[in-house]
Amino acid sequence: MYRGREGQWAFYLHRISGVAVLLFLMLHVLEMSSSMFGPEWFNALLAFERNPVFGLGLVLVAALVLYHALNGLRIILMDFTSWGVRYQRQLWYGVWVLYVLIGFPMFFTMLGYVFGGGE
Amino acid sequence: MQVTLKILRYNPEKDLRPHWESYKLEAEPMDRVLDLLHKVKWEQDGTLAFRKSCGHGICGSDAMLINGRNRLACKTLVRDLGTDVIEVEPIRGLPVEKDLVVDMEPFFKAYRAVKPWLINDDPPPQRERLQSPEERARFDEGTKCILCAACTTSCPVFWVNGTYIGPAAVVQAHRFIFDSRDQGAHERFPVLGSTGGVWRCRTAYNCTEACPREIPVTQLIQEVKRAIMFGEF
Ligand code: SF4
Ligand code: FES
Repeated sequence: MYRGREGQWAFYLHRISGVAVLLFLMLHVLEMSSSMFGPEWFNALLAFERNPVFGLGLVLVAALVLYHALNGLRIILMDFTSWGVRYQRQLWYGVWVLYVLIGFPMFFTMLGYVFGGGE
Repeated sequence: MQVTLKILRYNPEKDLRPHWESYKLEAEPMDRVLDLLHKVKWEQDGTLAFRKSCGHGICGSDAMLINGRNRLACKTLVRDLGTDVIEVEPIRGLPVEKDLVVDMEPFFKAYRAVKPWLINDDPPPQRERLQSPEERARFDEGTKCILCAACTTSCPVFWVNGTYIGPAAVVQAHRFIFDSRDQGAHERFPVLGSTGGVWRCRTAYNCTEACPREIPVTQLIQEVKRAIMFGEF
């Protein structure tokens, strides 16, 4: 493994999260289009997705989306400002600070729904 | 001190794929990795192949992957690696010819593609094409490039993409695009703006970390992107 620094990991994570989000989106479109076969099919599928495995998957997708969004802002700053590249490392740490601030309350709320059975 | 030098060796006439060989040797903390390679070649195994010329970080022939990062063997002290196990591999993304020697042709092909020379059809003035110190400073960083390929072969996109011209070629393009005497931006644009051009850069920063000349490579690439985007060509 090439011993790159923050920038390399920011890039790899961005790629992986991007592909994962794309896959989720396609699954989601398939899920929604199952309604074409009528309400029985659609409701059966939704009931099947009550399974906590899907719930956990959703939390994972949310975690990846959040990283992709925040790092995307970092990339915009690097692309469009003269100083973004110089502070890319600090910006990446900033991404993680925001990630914890925004993400943790979000993940805990979601996990509460998955396991607490709250609707 | 005693160090273990591991080298990823490959002999195209005998080996199917590269393999690691270990060499034990006495080294001083102030020895360069290049000195260790010489010791191996002169005292243990004369068949070891690697490139070097100046030995002083200016010819750009000895970029290698040393302990996980691209560096010049002649500019890397044993002391600075902070370990007595030193691993040396050829730079990645270019075909290995033998041991640490790679085929640099794809790298130089990309270099030539950006037309790294002054393009100006105006008749030359009596004495010189004058330039202010500020105009000269605008492209100063790119002039320090020694074409070692440490940047290009550290780039994750270059490893897998196959068409990306790589950071070094963009640095060279930047050197001329931002030169007030140059008029060739339009000729360079087709290459820089093509699918293998600057837009393949995804700002992973390995190039900037690897450059032994401390050129802010990613910064220069981003400036070229903005120049294309905002129509400075
Ligand atoms: S930009 Fe730096 S790393 Fe890249 S070829 Fe030039 S000197 Fe080597
Ligand atoms: S031998 Fe010339 S740069 Fe290292």
